[in-house]
Amino acid sequence: MKVLLVEDSERVARFVKKGLAESGHTLDVAANGRDGLFLAASEAYDAIVMDRMLPGGVDGLSIVAALRQSGNEVPILILSALGEVDERIEGLKSGADDYLVKPFSFGELLARLEALVRRARERGSQTTLAVADLTMDLLSRKVARGGRAIALQPREFKLLEVLMRHANQVVTRTMLLEQVWDYHFDPRTNVVDVHVSKLRRKIDADAERPLLRTIRNAGYMLSSE
Amino acid sequence: MRPLLRFSAANLALGYVAASLAALAVFATPLWFAWRSTIDARRGELLQEDERRLVDIFQARGADGLAAALDARVARSRTGGNYYVLADRDRRRMAGNLSAWPDGVPEQPGRYRVTVLANGEPRAAIAIHELLPGGYRLLVAGDDTSFQRMERLFWYGLAATAAAILALGAFAAWAIRREFLREVQRIQRTAAAIVAGDLSRRVESRGVADDLELLSRTVNGMLDRIQALVDGVRNVSNAIAHDLRTPLAELRSRLEELAMSRLPAGEAAAELESAVADVDRVIAIFNALLRLAEIDSGMRRSGFARVDLGRVAAETAEFYEPVAEEKGIALSCRAQAGLEVMGDSLLLAQALGNLVDNAIKYAPAESAVEIRGVRRAGLVELSVADRGPGIPDAEKPRVVERFYRGDRSRGAVPGMGLGLALVAGTARLHGGAFELSDHSPGLVATLRLPRADPAH
Repeated sequence: MKVLLVEDSERVARFVKKGLAESGHTLDVAANGRDGLFLAASEAYDAIVMDRMLPGGVDGLSIVAALRQSGNEVPILILSALGEVDERIEGLKSGADDYLVKPFSFGELLARLEALVRRARERGSQTTLAVADLTMDLLSRKVARGGRAIALQPREFKLLEVLMRHANQVVTRTMLLEQVWDYHFDPRTNVVDVHVSKLRRKIDADAERPLLRTIRNAGYMLSSE
Repeated sequence: MRPLLRFSAANLALGYVAASLAALAVFATPLWFAWRSTIDARRGELLQEDERRLVDIFQARGADGLAAALDARVARSRTGGNYYVLADRDRRRMAGNLSAWPDGVPEQPGRYRVTVLANGEPRAAIAIHELLPGGYRLLVAGDDTSFQRMERLFWYGLAATAAAILALGAFAAWAIRREFLREVQRIQRTAAAIVAGDLSRRVESRGVADDLELLSRTVNGMLDRIQALVDGVRNVSNAIAHDLRTPLAELRSRLEELAMSRLPAGEAAAELESAVADVDRVIAIFNALLRLAEIDSGMRRSGFARVDLGRVAAETAEFYEPVAEEKGIALSCRAQAGLEVMGDSLLLAQALGNLVDNAIKYAPAESAVEIRGVRRAGLVELSVADRGPGIPDAEKPRVVERFYRGDRSRGAVPGMGLGLALVAGTARLHGGAFELSDHSPGLVATLRLPRADPAH
């Protein structure tokens, strides 16, 4: 995965670069809006991470808008210290695909980037999802493990769907809150963990090899390996 | 004393004076012309008639006959205030009550304004000058002096009226200015006191329901709001001082200790992880404080939309259900239909979530937690009831304060002490109220919000 980071803080840039390199990805850094726009327009990236407040009073959103106007469809994640709901809505309206508020953990950033890139590659309508011997039919809303049907509540189905769409990728608790419950706040409890355990009991019940793994300090992963 | 003209109300009064004078002029001018032309025309007709009779006499009896008739009239004082002169072709006076043919009468016959000398006095007059056969000239003139007196009176009257308007206007300007200035100074004094730092001052009410009172009330409302905001800022700074310092201090010592001790890599990594968890705790408090400040500022109102609280309640119940189940708590949700409010769905969901989360935390195992939504007159009432230890009455008002943590929450139950403050702030933002009451045993937390108008 080749990523462009438009960010004027050297420290943040170094931190992201190091983290991405360890996960086997490459990162280009632009320290200002002009370089960022130039690189984004001339190189082929899998994703762009855009800071909002850039040197010279440039708002990263104007760069996002410029890229979208020129027909560039690369997935963009906004990284910003502006965290109010209105700011987030404004960010998504400008054409960005996701919004992450500073301070952030690297795990959260990586998980969201991988999810964005996956989503961009798999655009189009799938009607079935499969991870190892776990299958999900999105039309008839049926789930089966090794041919044995599993009954799920609607919300459990949604939870499993998000995990299956991001199979072999880390999905953070915040991502689950946003995508499954549409909660854009932190309920400060382990409710998500309880929901996931409940789901795990249903899909991994008496299976030889559990699929749903907890990734420490990050989130969850539905893994076929 | 400030210059009168620099005061807005006085300017207004003077403007009215100018307008009144203009109106007076507009009224007087046509009146003057109408009067003048009517009277002039009528007097002219009378003179013309008189003159025609004299011409008839001339035609019947000749110049001498007319002279005799005129002299007879003058002798009998039957002139009716008119002046008559008959003159020959050299304009020598032949008869009449003027001593000579007046100067300044044009050569051509016609009607003129002239000045005649009557008994040695100059009098203004309207004169008809007639040329008779044989070069005789006849002048019949009507005295205009009395009319001129009336004209003078008209102008005097007009001038006096204008002067009265001016005087009244000036007085009104002065009086209005004085009254207005007193009112403005009342508000100004309050504003000055506030500028000087006394935020508790308010504009006194005069007990009269007029426009200035309305202004005073608006100003007072604004001051209440400003004071609330200032207090809010002060509270937040206090809260930050107290409650962010502690975890930051812990974090600092943890990191310093780590730097000093030569720990094996594995242990060092574990310590660092704990440090990151500390930072996350600080960030969570920070976010909650920002959210509270955002709520208190009232900014979120601009994004209000119709929210079905019944649905919010059902979703919240569904979200917390597995947690309750784990503790063996029966979480139920009963909501009537049509629990609609105008509000911010995110904040309302978070507020209800906090209440349910608290209830589950404090409820004993194998008890019930109930979410209820009911419609009251003009209100939507959303309550969460648990069978936990409850809150003593004395503590109830304090638990909604920032960072207050009641006795019952010290110890095992983790929290930041911001949850209920956020709920109370959300209720306030929506123009509603938040109340804690006894469920004996247990606690009922109730949100009362104004119901939205029925869907259009």
